[in-house]
Amino acid sequence: MKGELLKIEHLTASYGEEPVLKDILLGIGEGESVFLVGESGSGKSSLLRAVLGMENLTVVSGRVLYDGKDITAAGGKQRRELLGREIGFVPQNPAGSFNPLRRYEAQIRDIMGSHGLTWDPEEVTEILEKLDLKEGKKLLRMRPYEMSGGMNQRMAIASAMLLKPRILLCDEVTSALDTTTAARVVKELGMLCTQRKTALLMATHHLGIAARLADRIGIIKDGRMTELGDTDRILTAPREVYTKQLLMDVPRLGRGR
Amino acid sequence: MQEGMQENCVLRGENIYKTYDRDSSITEALKNVSFYLQKGEILGIAGESGSGKSTLLRTVCGLEKADTGKIFAGGEELPAGDARYAGRYMQMIFQDAYASFDPGRTMRKSLTEFMAPEKSSPGGGSNERILSLLYETGLTADLLDRHPAALSGGQCQRMSIARALLTGADILLCDEITSALDVSTQARVAELLLRLKRQKGISILLVSHDLALISQLCDRVMIMKDGAVLEEGNTREVLERPRSQYTNELLAAARELELPEVK
Amino acid sequence: MKPSVKDRIKRQKLKIVISSAAALLLVLAALAAPLLVPNDPYRTGSDLIRKAPGGAFPFGTDNLGRCVFSRVLVGARTTIGVTFLLVALSFLIGTAAGMLCGYYGSVLDELLMRIADIMLAFPQMVVAIAVAGILGGGIAGAMAALGITMWTGFARLARSHTKSIKALPYVQAAVLGGKSGAYILAHHILPNILAPMVTYALTQIGTTMIGISGLSFLGLGVVPPQAEWGSMISEQRAYIQIAPWAVLFPALAAVLTILVFNYLGDAVMDYRALSKNR
Repeated sequence: MKGELLKIEHLTASYGEEPVLKDILLGIGEGESVFLVGESGSGKSSLLRAVLGMENLTVVSGRVLYDGKDITAAGGKQRRELLGREIGFVPQNPAGSFNPLRRYEAQIRDIMGSHGLTWDPEEVTEILEKLDLKEGKKLLRMRPYEMSGGMNQRMAIASAMLLKPRILLCDEVTSALDTTTAARVVKELGMLCTQRKTALLMATHHLGIAARLADRIGIIKDGRMTELGDTDRILTAPREVYTKQLLMDVPRLGRGR
Repeated sequence: MQEGMQENCVLRGENIYKTYDRDSSITEALKNVSFYLQKGEILGIAGESGSGKSTLLRTVCGLEKADTGKIFAGGEELPAGDARYAGRYMQMIFQDAYASFDPGRTMRKSLTEFMAPEKSSPGGGSNERILSLLYETGLTADLLDRHPAALSGGQCQRMSIARALLTGADILLCDEITSALDVSTQARVAELLLRLKRQKGISILLVSHDLALISQLCDRVMIMKDGAVLEEGNTREVLERPRSQYTNELLAAARELELPEVK
Repeated sequence: MKPSVKDRIKRQKLKIVISSAAALLLVLAALAAPLLVPNDPYRTGSDLIRKAPGGAFPFGTDNLGRCVFSRVLVGARTTIGVTFLLVALSFLIGTAAGMLCGYYGSVLDELLMRIADIMLAFPQMVVAIAVAGILGGGIAGAMAALGITMWTGFARLARSHTKSIKALPYVQAAVLGGKSGAYILAHHILPNILAPMVTYALTQIGTTMIGISGLSFLGLGVVPPQAEWGSMISEQRAYIQIAPWAVLFPALAAVLTILVFNYLGDAVMDYRALSKNR
């Protein structure tokens, strides 16, 4: 096992009174990709938020370790240094993280600048190309409001990857994409992460995407990690009833009526 | 079209054209689309976003007006762009189940409004009709006093199916109705559609970008791209021996995300 | 730490309670004015001219010897009454027109919205002065003069809300369910646009009061001797150095009332914005 980059130790967290995460135990190695699969409201997004240290989520007990350091309660400067460069994040709704009226180029330039990176148009268009966004130069001159949800989602992935984080956290990033585009984006994102040895922690309810990209899959239900294991094992020999049910409910090609 | 098909045909579209005039550029949303739907059949319409599949549904039920082309249901030609009239034969189920209900109303009020008085069964009152439809769609009566926001996504989508059936229409136009739902909820709603087809003879036009879902539900499938129908036929035949290159691409993408069989 | 949304909503609620209580008090005072006045607001007396506040005349008397306090009270009735009536009429006409335009669109929509555009091309007060001038003053004239531009604000707001609701699946489901346009407007659209419309109406009360008093001040609204704050100020301003109270108190009353209603409108608007984003 490679050294653990991110470690979540017996994490219990709540929104106000309501517990959303219960005793979560998870370690992610350098360059490893782990997928959190569960229904909406299961707590998979909350787990990402806990790692990011979002304000409204209260950690009741347990710790989050990054590179061996406890970052559970990291605030201010320490948190800012971690987010972006070390831990990248692509939210479910990218519209919220971009100014809708500013050109993408200016916004991505700003983000890179504030992390001390230089803007390289070649590099940017190359990443966009990989995410199935052709004519990158033209897209960079556009503003978020002019683009479809799916395009914005891919722009958000691109801008997160440009910061070359060591681990990328993604929340349902393919929900606005067609199957064809989703398949392509997922494939390219996987290759990009492998190339750069970027670890990936992605929350999704789409098992097919997890099947394609994950080294390991964690099944989350009602705030608990009910099953965690290698992708192959989870998909072909699930142990828990809930996992079995979930796998049965995924429609499959050619397994007709 | 063969004569035998005509008898069972509940909905038919002929040479439908539809263009949008936006920002002084004309987009051809539908290019000469024809289709038929037989009684108790599920016809899938597959394609990526922008293929015109949703526009087709909206045009068929009169929410949009076709430029040219004819739509027939119940043995008559429907007036173009008249959703009130088309509603006698068909109802639409929308992708966003929550937005399909007036946020300020309880389910009871929203459902009662859709009762077709002339079609309520002679013996049973309106309330019994609602209750029996709730039962058929897998819902319970206590949900009637809730507002849409207090239902789960799956419950809300079932409610909108129950509401559609209340009008007495026996054709459902489903626009990506499961894509906002969780995997398991999606499977239950898919099962509901199959049951409605088998037990009540409901005919369904099902728009989806998910070929796996289509392969599970549909008798026939129509592949659309850029407003035109690329191919149409028996679901198994189209998916196993696609004639167009594009269908092959769609299938390849779907296979890319296909799960291995559970041992 | 920043106050949580919950606390901010609580604060807005408190603001609404306080300002609506104040507004209610003002309205009640205006309604009960004839019972509350210590003196006949219209009785003049040569021996009572320009008396300083005190004794039987809490706000003093004006240059004709009329009780300023009584006139301010009765004036409230005129100003608040006319304002409410005007806002209500604009609300009804504007909302109805906006809903029809937003739902049915086409030629009617084009026509009404272009008219609204023309109205908005000039500052409201300029149009009002011109119209009131042509109509030759009087309360009805002043109301027409302000109303001719005011309904357009309601119409625009109602139109845009109607348009966005019309595009929602539940309205389309209702059309497919066989409901007529009139039914959908009354049962699905009106209930859902009422809250923003009423909020907008609240924010219009202050502006309208300024308009009514302003026109009266210019002699284009309420005709003397009828008590109205604007016309009172106008009548007495020549004596502002000898009898400042005759100008000061109606002015204060106007400022206070406008403040209360503006505050109420803002508080309701902020509250709605907060609870929507929750």
